[in-house]
Amino acid sequence: MRVPSIPAADFLPLVPAIILLVGACVLLMTEVFLRSPSRGYQAPLSLFFTGLAGAVSLSSAFEPARPVFQGFAAQDPFSSAVTLVVCVALGLAVLTSSGFLRSRNAERGEFYALMLFAASGMSLLAMSTELITLFINIEVLSVGTYALTSYLRRGTRPAEAGFKYFILGAFSSAILLYGAALLYGATGSTKLSEMAVVLPAALAAQPALVYAGALLVAGGFAFKVAAVPFHMWTPDVYEGAPTPVTALMSAGVKAAAFAAMIRVFLVLGKGMDPSVPLALFSGLAYLTMIVGNLLALPQRNVKRMLAYSSIGHAGYLLVGVAALFVTAEAPAGDGFRFFGATPLLAPGLSEVAARADALKGLLFYLLAYTVTTVGSFGVLAALERSEDEPKGTAWDLDRFAGLAQRRPGWAFAMAVFMLSLGGVPPTVGFMGKLLIFRSAVDTGLVGLAVVGVLTSAAAIYYYLRVVVAMYMRPAPEDERIPVTLSWGTELALALSALAVVVLGILPGTVTDWLQQASTLWLGQ
Amino acid sequence: MNAEVVLFYAFAVLALLSAGMVIASRSPINSALSLVATFFFLAGTYVLLLAHTIAVLQVLVYAGAIMVLFLFVIMLLNLTETEGERAKVTFGRVAGALAAVSLFALLALVVMGVKGAPTAMATAELARFGTLAALGQTLYTEWLLPFEAVSLLLLVAIVGAVVVAKARI
Repeated sequence: MRVPSIPAADFLPLVPAIILLVGACVLLMTEVFLRSPSRGYQAPLSLFFTGLAGAVSLSSAFEPARPVFQGFAAQDPFSSAVTLVVCVALGLAVLTSSGFLRSRNAERGEFYALMLFAASGMSLLAMSTELITLFINIEVLSVGTYALTSYLRRGTRPAEAGFKYFILGAFSSAILLYGAALLYGATGSTKLSEMAVVLPAALAAQPALVYAGALLVAGGFAFKVAAVPFHMWTPDVYEGAPTPVTALMSAGVKAAAFAAMIRVFLVLGKGMDPSVPLALFSGLAYLTMIVGNLLALPQRNVKRMLAYSSIGHAGYLLVGVAALFVTAEAPAGDGFRFFGATPLLAPGLSEVAARADALKGLLFYLLAYTVTTVGSFGVLAALERSEDEPKGTAWDLDRFAGLAQRRPGWAFAMAVFMLSLGGVPPTVGFMGKLLIFRSAVDTGLVGLAVVGVLTSAAAIYYYLRVVVAMYMRPAPEDERIPVTLSWGTELALALSALAVVVLGILPGTVTDWLQQASTLWLGQ
Repeated sequence: MNAEVVLFYAFAVLALLSAGMVIASRSPINSALSLVATFFFLAGTYVLLLAHTIAVLQVLVYAGAIMVLFLFVIMLLNLTETEGERAKVTFGRVAGALAAVSLFALLALVVMGVKGAPTAMATAELARFGTLAALGQTLYTEWLLPFEAVSLLLLVAIVGAVVVAKARI
């Protein structure tokens, strides 16, 4: 039997995930050796580990792409960039958690530990290049978030949310695994690099098996990123989960799941007719953009509105994913003509350049969405009162009435986040949408770009409704001054508002860096 | 028709029958016991596939440990056999049923169309294939990363279970 040797350098790409893992274990241990009831140090401690992991992934971001562990994972700039986005989401979520948990008398080491565990799963997922490793890491991040969803058990909502998320999540994982099994049956390997080599032959021998496997895998991923028609769980779970957890779910889980989906389908797309993944992802993108934004329109509950808005944003990201599969020449034979003529690249644009542009747009959008959405959930977390939660009025639009007079800083930050989510310049949300839609137009996916712009315009209505409530409605008389005052929340809001504006005005440095980060290791 | 084929069909048909019983039977205890039977017959098919270790683990872990826990939980919950309300026919249910049936039909078509290929393994290799030694060697060398990831998964699951099971946080 061949015993492969694994050089020590193969462990280097895992360092960010290992740091997060060690941090989680340290936080668990702080509960064991607890000497005083004050737990104020736990959030800074988690923040330290998050920052360390982020710094390490940043420092390794420019190393050349290479496979590690015999092709079970890959070290590439793409995975480093995704890990960095995850660390940003985690850091901001931890900052908002401390005040949120303390006001509910629920600050425990396990909470931060589970957050760090989930984040290390996300980091590992971004670099997995083998279907079983990928599945296990999806489960690590999912199990962490299942437990976090029902962490606070006040009223029936968290229990319902946790149970729903667990059952549907397990179901979708099973679908993904079934698809992976079919792909293994067709290609005889679970490593993406080996599958890419065998795929053309496998496709010629038994096309139905390959396509069925790819479809099921896509279905499993579509659930994780909350794409329509796999979105039903999102509003209930996002509403029932503790607000900082919702922030981590909407930003970190989405980023990691998108990263894994892109990696898998770039490999599968090399072997099969590229118009199949193109039709699949443009179909999902159309549905997700339209349905997500339409369902958000009537929401008066701001937390539910943000949940539907996160579905809509998954749709914009799917536009970027679809743009990855457009080729320079029409594929031979009769490919799927799902939406009229086959889109082609703009003249003078090479496939490599178009793909790098689309990846850069996707990464930038993920970063932009992360700072914006975690910030807006941070405002929600600061405003909600625990006694309103069982009644379900904790996140009503009325809670925002007159916020500009009572807490002008928060109102301004929330206004910035809402404008960024709506894609209004000069915020980072606008830059993200610009990059995504530009690569859609460059690749000939004009229909997707048009629908994207139209739905963004419609979305401004429900985002601005929050701004109007904050600035133009009088505060209710009996309203007590909110609510959770803590340095963590204030810092998180200030940082994310600053990031939204600065990245919106001067995106250059980050986009240049992400341009380099758009390299993936996909096998030879 | 050799003995292997006869055994395969016996195990397959019995596994399908007992899996059907899991869904069809009204009492949760009967369902759980049918699940035990399903696991046993699945273990039989694993043996036919030369995956001896997996077959033993299937019986020990699933049919043994996990199903005992299942039965404990069912008995602790003390479920009485009450007739539930008749499910109403709604648009969502009909659409869901249609989607499930069409997915099943699609997958059945795909699986029926699979062309089997004779294995490329030599006899000596086949004899080693499903043994504990071969499994261990693969798991701890080539599959090191997924193996470690599983230990991370188990740790997260334990911590998560303790958090969820706490009376109140």
